[in-house]
Amino acid sequence: MKDLLEWLDHRTGYKLLVHEALNEPIPGGARWRYITGSMLTFAFVVQVITGFFLWTAYSPSTQTAWESVYYIQHEMAYGWLVRGIHHFAAQAMMVLLGLHFLQVIWDGAYRAPREVNFWLGLVLMQIVIALSLTGYLLPWDQKGYYATKVATNIAGASPVIGPQIQQIAQGGAAYGHHTLTRFFALHAGLLPALMVVFLALHVYVFRRHGITVPPHAEGKPADTFWPKQVLFDAVGCLVVLGIVLYFALTRPAELTAPADPGEDFPARPEWYFLFLFRFLEFKEISRFGVAFGAIYIPTLLMGIVFLMPFIGRKKWGHYFNRGFLLAILTGITILTVMTLHEDNHNQSHQAKLRFAERDAHRVVVLAKREGIPQNGARELLVNDPFTQGPRLFARNCSSCHRFDGHDATGQLILKTVDKDGVKTKVPELETAADLKDFGSREWITRVLTDYETTFKPLENAGEKGKAIQTGEMSNWCKENQKVLTDPANAESLKALVEFLTAQGGRNDLGAFDEKLVAQGREIFKGGALKSGALSSSCADCHAMTVAKGTETESLSDGAGAGYPKLTGYGGREWLKAFLRAPGHADFYGEKNTMMEFTEKRMSEREIDLLVDWMTGNYIPNPSH
Amino acid sequence: MANSSSESPPSTHVAEGPPGEPRRNFLTSLLAMITGGIVGLVPAIAGGLFFLDPILRKRAGGAGGLLRAADLSELPSDGTPLRVVLRSDITDAWTLYRNRVIGSVYLRLMPNGQILAFNDTCTHLGCKVDYQAADKQFFCPCHQSAFDLDGKPKNETPPRMLDDLVAEVKDGVVFVEYKNYRTGTPEKVAVQ
Repeated sequence: MKDLLEWLDHRTGYKLLVHEALNEPIPGGARWRYITGSMLTFAFVVQVITGFFLWTAYSPSTQTAWESVYYIQHEMAYGWLVRGIHHFAAQAMMVLLGLHFLQVIWDGAYRAPREVNFWLGLVLMQIVIALSLTGYLLPWDQKGYYATKVATNIAGASPVIGPQIQQIAQGGAAYGHHTLTRFFALHAGLLPALMVVFLALHVYVFRRHGITVPPHAEGKPADTFWPKQVLFDAVGCLVVLGIVLYFALTRPAELTAPADPGEDFPARPEWYFLFLFRFLEFKEISRFGVAFGAIYIPTLLMGIVFLMPFIGRKKWGHYFNRGFLLAILTGITILTVMTLHEDNHNQSHQAKLRFAERDAHRVVVLAKREGIPQNGARELLVNDPFTQGPRLFARNCSSCHRFDGHDATGQLILKTVDKDGVKTKVPELETAADLKDFGSREWITRVLTDYETTFKPLENAGEKGKAIQTGEMSNWCKENQKVLTDPANAESLKALVEFLTAQGGRNDLGAFDEKLVAQGREIFKGGALKSGALSSSCADCHAMTVAKGTETESLSDGAGAGYPKLTGYGGREWLKAFLRAPGHADFYGEKNTMMEFTEKRMSEREIDLLVDWMTGNYIPNPSH
Repeated sequence: MANSSSESPPSTHVAEGPPGEPRRNFLTSLLAMITGGIVGLVPAIAGGLFFLDPILRKRAGGAGGLLRAADLSELPSDGTPLRVVLRSDITDAWTLYRNRVIGSVYLRLMPNGQILAFNDTCTHLGCKVDYQAADKQFFCPCHQSAFDLDGKPKNETPPRMLDDLVAEVKDGVVFVEYKNYRTGTPEKVAVQ
């Protein structure tokens, strides 16, 4: 073995190399404050290792990028771990970059003769930022897609050649396959290669000038790099690894829904760029155009940083540099906290985030259960009632109805009012019922026992609305409220409700109690309760046909037009027919106040998606 | 002044660490090596396990069961082989492909009404064999493997006969249970 090593040394001279690497003298002794550079290098190495393995499973195209990342995250062995480490180590790198930079400025390590190395460090900083920016897009999820769009649009706002730069970066006029292939080539090819080159130069120049010793350590005995400083560095790296692993093990790396140019997303950049996002929001900044806030000012600040070695030649200059850095860091911190605070208190933004998270969960449920179609996972959501229903409700129904108080996507319906010259947002009055649990047992119980409250919003819908709210059904309800809510009739009410609910044939409301249904049917027809009787039976007004084996049986012909027919009430077909023509004689007839959703307003596909969602006719989400 | 270094590069022949503390140095070295080892190995091990996914994880099976191959009436009654493609829904990593061609087979209708089905993959090294009508044989263009119409080797190249597959006729339609087998071995071992 010894002979072999001697031979190798003779041919390569590796011993001198190792000796030089490890026995670098550290004047004043090994110190913890010197470890930030090594930690940063370590984080980069972790990214190279995990990045390589992710590369073995990633597929950069608009129909496979999200899908392959989904597969890594949810299907492949330890994929969640490797992606988690890569995701969180990237963020650790930004923090370490900040720390390293702070330390270099604070200790004056940027001054002569280390100017060039300082500039090399600034180049490395840009490379890390570029890596982070390009990596963010690769999963092709909503978050990365929209956040990166902002970044490329900023590039497009650059003076003179902005549009060309943007097109080159995107690989065309719009985002597509080539945006991904280009970003991927940069992220996994060019940028890491540049990083290695500049890192090698950085270390080489660093070795040439040695470590910058703080004043209080001067004159203390020297150490060599090995072993004490190596141990310090290794412990620093262990801490980085520990923190990254802690995050990777406790929370999955985020993957929002597949990118969809047709769907809005509450986009924010990753937390370390929030300051820039907020900075651009200031009216004082935005009035000068995007390039001013996003390019000119950052370039100016970077210019000052670049000149720091010259400014810092004098003692006051060094203090200026320190002050400048502190000012920047304070600014960044304040802007970041401001954004987080504002976002946390922005109800609409939070609702959008929750709704986006709903999509992100849903697409995974569908992908696991249905498999991902050839055209990509986006299609799963596009054709899913659970996903599209609330959107269609918000678009078509929420100007009158509410869904649990909101528009079904979580947004409150507000209007702006001018009160003494001050514009404030107040809730818009709803003019029709809240349909959160339409067709359920609870809904039917409420309609039977408290019609007026259930349809209270109709009082905002003019005379016709009020006429329905306080009309015949309301009167019937008032006459029978006492007898229906009498504890002695609890089972009778339950039976009637069970019978009416069962007409919808919905399979998302649990199994129906056949005995109760049969009891309820008799009450519907005759109105006899366990204790007493209804003033008039349901069948006196409402027509209904029920299934009897393979045949149908007419229970009642009802009282004619304007008394909603209850055949299949609350089910898919009933609801669809009702939406298409609520003024039909089978429904409200002349009394109708509701808009008709003809094919012009809502296509067959849209109405199916909406109705399927409202009647629970979709692939269920697994209950946890 | 914090800057203590010289303008010139440090000498390559520096003295070995501070003398007089060999034991402490040893302990430090050992700790440095262990800690350094851990931080390097953890991401590498995680990545390595991920890379071994194909053997660590049981995947949902591909196409299984009987697949529709041809109408019985399409098969020549004199036993001449007919090549047909088989289609099935298959999952390739994340994508579910519907009704996709998954391979091709030769079918022969024997005089007794029996159906012979062969996987058209050469058992030597996996090229596709062609039916040569003139020589009444299956021939592989890669390394000249030749098989007779019953699938038996006609020369030394293939290690075993063509792989026969289960075939059934239902209501005038021929169904085949498609399987692939390892190549280059005398034994017929299914690949799944």
